[in-house]
Amino acid sequence: MPFGNMRKAMQGRLRVRRSRLFCALSLALAFNVSSAAPHIPGSDAEVVAELPLGARHSSTPALALTATRLDIALPLAQFDISQARATGDLRFLGYAEAILQPWLEQPAPAPQVLVLNATILQSRHAFAASLTELDRALKARPDDAQAWLTRATVLRVLGRYDEALDSCKHMARAADAAITTLCEQSLRGLTGHLDDAYAAILSQSPQDLPPEVRAWRYSELGEMAERLGDDAAAEHWFREGLQVAPQDFYMRTACADLLLRHQRAAETLQLLAGYESMEPMLLRIAIAHEQLHDASAASAEALLSNAFQVEEQRGESVHRREQARYLLDVSHQPEAALTAAQENWRVQHEPDDILILLRAAHDAHQGTAAEPALQFLRLQGLQDIRLEPYRKSS
Amino acid sequence: MSAVGRVCGFLATLMLAGAAQAHIASNGFLSAHVDGRTVTGSYELAVRDVELAVGVDANRDGRVTWGELRNAQPQIMRYLAQHLALAAQGKDCDLAFQSIELNDRVDGNYVWVPFTARCPNEVNQLTIRYSVMDGVDPSHRGLLTLIAGSAVQTAVLDGKSSQAAFAVFAPSKWRAFTEYLQAGVWHILSGIDHLLFLLSLLLPAVLFRREGRWEPVAQARPALINILQVVTAFTLAHSITLTLAALDVVRLPSRLTESVIAASIIVAALNNIFPLVTDSRARIAFAFGLLHGFGFASVLTDMGLPHGARVISLLAFNLGIEAGQLAVVLTVMPILYAIRAGGFYRRGVMPWGSAAIAVIATVWLVQRAIFPS
Repeated sequence: MPFGNMRKAMQGRLRVRRSRLFCALSLALAFNVSSAAPHIPGSDAEVVAELPLGARHSSTPALALTATRLDIALPLAQFDISQARATGDLRFLGYAEAILQPWLEQPAPAPQVLVLNATILQSRHAFAASLTELDRALKARPDDAQAWLTRATVLRVLGRYDEALDSCKHMARAADAAITTLCEQSLRGLTGHLDDAYAAILSQSPQDLPPEVRAWRYSELGEMAERLGDDAAAEHWFREGLQVAPQDFYMRTACADLLLRHQRAAETLQLLAGYESMEPMLLRIAIAHEQLHDASAASAEALLSNAFQVEEQRGESVHRREQARYLLDVSHQPEAALTAAQENWRVQHEPDDILILLRAAHDAHQGTAAEPALQFLRLQGLQDIRLEPYRKSS
Repeated sequence: MSAVGRVCGFLATLMLAGAAQAHIASNGFLSAHVDGRTVTGSYELAVRDVELAVGVDANRDGRVTWGELRNAQPQIMRYLAQHLALAAQGKDCDLAFQSIELNDRVDGNYVWVPFTARCPNEVNQLTIRYSVMDGVDPSHRGLLTLIAGSAVQTAVLDGKSSQAAFAVFAPSKWRAFTEYLQAGVWHILSGIDHLLFLLSLLLPAVLFRREGRWEPVAQARPALINILQVVTAFTLAHSITLTLAALDVVRLPSRLTESVIAASIIVAALNNIFPLVTDSRARIAFAFGLLHGFGFASVLTDMGLPHGARVISLLAFNLGIEAGQLAVVLTVMPILYAIRAGGFYRRGVMPWGSAAIAVIATVWLVQRAIFPS
């Protein structure tokens, strides 16, 4: 398993947001947008869809082989998962799932199949199910570095830092030392040793790392610098990282958030141009337009709330961080944002989850609502300068 | 009512502009409208999903044109016939897909396929077998909106469970009766034009004309007879035309009926100030009541009469109107009777109240005749 995949497992936290509250809102917005209805195109030559690579009927003969050949199934599923991460196109997760399905139905699925399935589940924010699959895989193959790293990632998102660190340590036996260092230090950086961890990762020589691990390092450095309050350095690291891995949309959203915090809306739009089809990017674009008070805000909002609404209609487990963000920064409903942020907090505990909860509680004038997150901060010794103003006021 | 549910389910997603798209997971949108034995509706699947399931990109250049889609129409229909089926109480319906069209949604273009299904029985329980994208994308879901009468239900169809059954709201006669009774009451109470007409005719019911002047009636009896005559005439007349219009026997343009209703109020009000007809206002009530009936019917046309309960619903609506009307009469007339003798009533309420009503009705007349909505 290439280590690039590990890095992506650590970094590529695919985010899809949906909403229960957007029906009325989306309607209001939709009425501002020109209407579409079933129609017959004027010409036979009109192109009605562009097909992404790997999403063509002509590729299905190869897919037929995946049911009997694990050596074909695994790389193809891996390819689809990477496509989903690189493009934010969720259908690819479904294609990967289709490839894995016959293998998962076997009495004792291969560990690699379980790990890939865990990655899909993680991408869908089904964290508990993802951990179950990983534990099954590790039972069969205790030295599976990819499984330990994915496990560390999931546990980190859940805020279970001790267990995550434990997973990093297990990985040390099978993985490159540089990757283990990144895994461990990134967690130490969340548990009261931010300065040390930052220095430790800084001292790693990027030349020794494969390109994708290099991007992971930049991403960690950027986030750590941001939490330390050195936004100039953080921006530098993010931009360096995006040079190495332009398709890393987790890093791109992190960079966009940094710019937006400094009201640098125009630069944000520049950074996100061409990425409008990804919901997390679209959210930042909507916030940028909101900051600029320009007319394009409505169409970004309409598109976003539409996507939220369809996903809500699917009735999937809802991830709410970006919904909360949307309610707070775009539609300015702090109470609704707080509700969404609280629901999100029940699921995941990343620094950004804390940030949105504190901000929403502050704007909704309900300081006590943020208490669980503040308690978590104290317990873990998590250091993040972005949280300080809300910490004091609440 | 169904319109409201649909608005939330659909409009928002239908009304997107431009080429902007967002990535979402694969969904098929199934909209079904149950009416008796027939189910009509549409099914939508993204062009991208159609390509994956059926293969429509004939020249394999990675771009699907409308021509390619049209040419693949037989294959698309065959695929849908294999993966989407409807049954009523377990007995298969005959599902026929019509010509495809294109619809723009949040994640790109969708193939939009209207369909009609004829079922062996009236649909009480609709079973939907759904396996679109089976084996290709397990995360695909069918998003169902099922409409029957005024009930809207939504559901997610999961390829894994392959079939789902839905109880279809069969409008019970009693439920239809109460619903339309309420609608009738509500319509008369909120239909201020009908009430003003009636009021104009009832204002002089507690008086009588002598030597060119209004005098209060001495006893309740003549007033009661007056009221009874007017109300009965009005009721009889509007019931006749309401029935004829609701059953689609007679149809008048709403601009005409609404204008004449306004005019009828002016006539009735002016008749109180410059009395021409003093002893048989019931005739006015009857003549114009015929027009008011068409006005009531327009509400009923908007609501629609439920399948299998047409007559009872019409009756209920009519009774609702009469009940509402009776409530108003029973509230207003004792008051008018009590104050009939005073100068305030005869020289104030009668002429000036009637004048005010005439003015309001004139405004309506102008609005309805010249600026119909």
